[in-house]
Amino acid sequence: MNLALDGLPELACKPGKGPWLRGAISFSPSLDYMERAYDDAKYGRYSRRPYVDCIIPTLVDPSMAPPGKHIMSCFVQYAPYNLEQGKEWTPEMRDAFGETVIDTLEERFPDIRSKILHRFVLSPKDIEDWTGLTEGNIFQGELSLEQLFFNRPVPGWARYRTPVKDLWMCGSATHPGGGIMGAPGRIAALEYMKEKRSGRGAGR
Amino acid sequence: MTTGHDVVVIGGGHNGLVAGAYLARAGKKVLILERAGEVGGILRGGELAPGFVAPGIAHTVGRLRRSVIADLKLERHGFRAIEPDVRVFAPQPDGRAITFWADAGRTAEEIRALSAKDADAYVAFDRKVRVLASFVAHIDAATPPDVKVPSIADAIAGLKLGKAFRDLGAKAGRETIRALPMAVADFVGENFEEEAVRGPLAARGVLYTNVGPWAAGTAAVYLSDSAGSDGGAPGQSTFAEGGTAELARVLRRAAESFGAQVRTGAEVMELLTRDGRVVGVRTATGETIEARAVVSTADPKRTLRLVDPEVLGPHMVWRAGNIRQPGATAKVDLALGGLPAFTGADEDRLRGRIVIAPSIDHAERAKDASKYGQVAEEPWLEATIPSLTDPSLAPDGKHVMSVLFEAAPRHLRDGDWSSERERVGDVAVRTLERYAPGLGELIEARRVITPEDLETEYALTGGHVYHAEPGLDQFFAWRPLNGHARYRFVVDGLYLAGSGAHPGGGITGGPAANAARAILKDL
Repeated sequence: MNLALDGLPELACKPGKGPWLRGAISFSPSLDYMERAYDDAKYGRYSRRPYVDCIIPTLVDPSMAPPGKHIMSCFVQYAPYNLEQGKEWTPEMRDAFGETVIDTLEERFPDIRSKILHRFVLSPKDIEDWTGLTEGNIFQGELSLEQLFFNRPVPGWARYRTPVKDLWMCGSATHPGGGIMGAPGRIAALEYMKEKRSGRGAGR
Repeated sequence: MTTGHDVVVIGGGHNGLVAGAYLARAGKKVLILERAGEVGGILRGGELAPGFVAPGIAHTVGRLRRSVIADLKLERHGFRAIEPDVRVFAPQPDGRAITFWADAGRTAEEIRALSAKDADAYVAFDRKVRVLASFVAHIDAATPPDVKVPSIADAIAGLKLGKAFRDLGAKAGRETIRALPMAVADFVGENFEEEAVRGPLAARGVLYTNVGPWAAGTAAVYLSDSAGSDGGAPGQSTFAEGGTAELARVLRRAAESFGAQVRTGAEVMELLTRDGRVVGVRTATGETIEARAVVSTADPKRTLRLVDPEVLGPHMVWRAGNIRQPGATAKVDLALGGLPAFTGADEDRLRGRIVIAPSIDHAERAKDASKYGQVAEEPWLEATIPSLTDPSLAPDGKHVMSVLFEAAPRHLRDGDWSSERERVGDVAVRTLERYAPGLGELIEARRVITPEDLETEYALTGGHVYHAEPGLDQFFAWRPLNGHARYRFVVDGLYLAGSGAHPGGGITGGPAANAARAILKDL
């Protein structure tokens, strides 16, 4: 969820505009809190009290908003792509989820609601539609043990090649996975050049 | 002071008796000390009411390692396995049910009534489980490698495992590596669409654990359950004739036949050390018993609590404290005036395990409760009626029913076990009644064993039946602690041979047999 803010919100636990607002602001008060947030997603519902990780990039780069105004970007977990009883994400559900996120933020930023000029919520379905990421998974495949290293994306095809000759993969779906690293692309490029230099065809 | 023993074994459960038997068989003078009045540990069971013999905390014994049965000549000492045709009867709340038979083809036909797709997938899945489990059996038989100073022996052991792995073939090999760290919910779920099939299979991966089927690594637990047994997809449902306590008596006779001495009512209170080496034990009566080696089959935390913390040092005390032993299983034994009538089941279908886990999410929700320190209101249950295949366990026409209750955490967030005990019994009966109306009226006696009882009466720290949780961080070379997984345990002269050691819990005798191999190299 992205928010355009009329001014800087104030944390109830630490008021004022201090350096503590310039990094990540994590609402994850306990392990059980996060676990319960995940419990909802396990059964196909978005978290009633999600774990939220926000940043206010305009604090370090004022060029991103008009003077005195701010942008807040919130990473919210959990919002499963596959919903209970075969339901699908609708605009209404997305708005309701946005409200849940703002309710959650309001518990820490009591004045945030009055400062919101615009809000922009992306459900995992929206992420899929906008970016083409299947199931809205930004890592192009869950980073679970059975989908890492020589099993990424699938066993037998972890070396950037695919069953189709001259078709290569180099996205987050490949080793070492998602995140703004560039590493899958770099390793895939090196592999590709190595193969071209050696003059061998598509191998495994 | 008592002298003259090569080895003192702490604990007369299945692993203690198996370790003692192997060591005595090799000519060592062995003394096995059991805290309780009789041997058996979780096999112990007991008389529930006059004429009703309940099984122990474990109610099936089909994972007992074949080589242990042969090496210790258990059949000569009276071991008889009862293997019914049925493995699992799994009813649904709506009255439908699936029976999983020993014969996969017969099971597939059962499934066809619910899902043709799942029926078509079942035989291949059963075969896949058998292939993957066959490799897990090789892991189970191996001593974990020395990660700090790998030796030539480790290299050879590694080559053996490597050969077993290559023997799987490329496809099954890849599938094994992929499957082991998976959530059993995914592993089962990607093969079947029908929850009535998924639930009872996946539940097998979380029996006795504190996690649900959506937890990583539970596929390894599921596969371990079929490793070295004829379990296949549904797992084994093998009973010991005369009850699980009879298997304990068989193991005792076997150990004694090789010359091991067994003492019951003998609790070890302290491990005696000299110059940083274990030299014997002190019992609750103050007796000291010297030995060249002490083999503990108590759980890892309890074992290390017997050692002077100064000998362990603060870092090891901290590491030992971090071993995860969160018990979440309770047990309800019922003496029944007759056979309960399960909807959709004739007598034949009730001879194996009765698994009340109608969906993966049902099993997951049950474990959610224990995660937050609560007893599940909607538990998943595994029940057996051993008197159906062995009438000697109950009076004529009557039956004994053993119910494993998942999940009930050792440490409750609110309340305590003295007030929750009977509620577990009530919830279990209420749950069973939904599938077997009228069962409640058949009950002549009921006994609830809480996780607290498992800690106080069975000496299981945290009430964990498997001693240490079978998570990926406590598996193989990490069981129970990295650097101490090779049965030589933390202090010179001390060995770990119980379920807290590789390959872990269950009535396998595996940790003890593996440990005996390591101990005999040293003695």
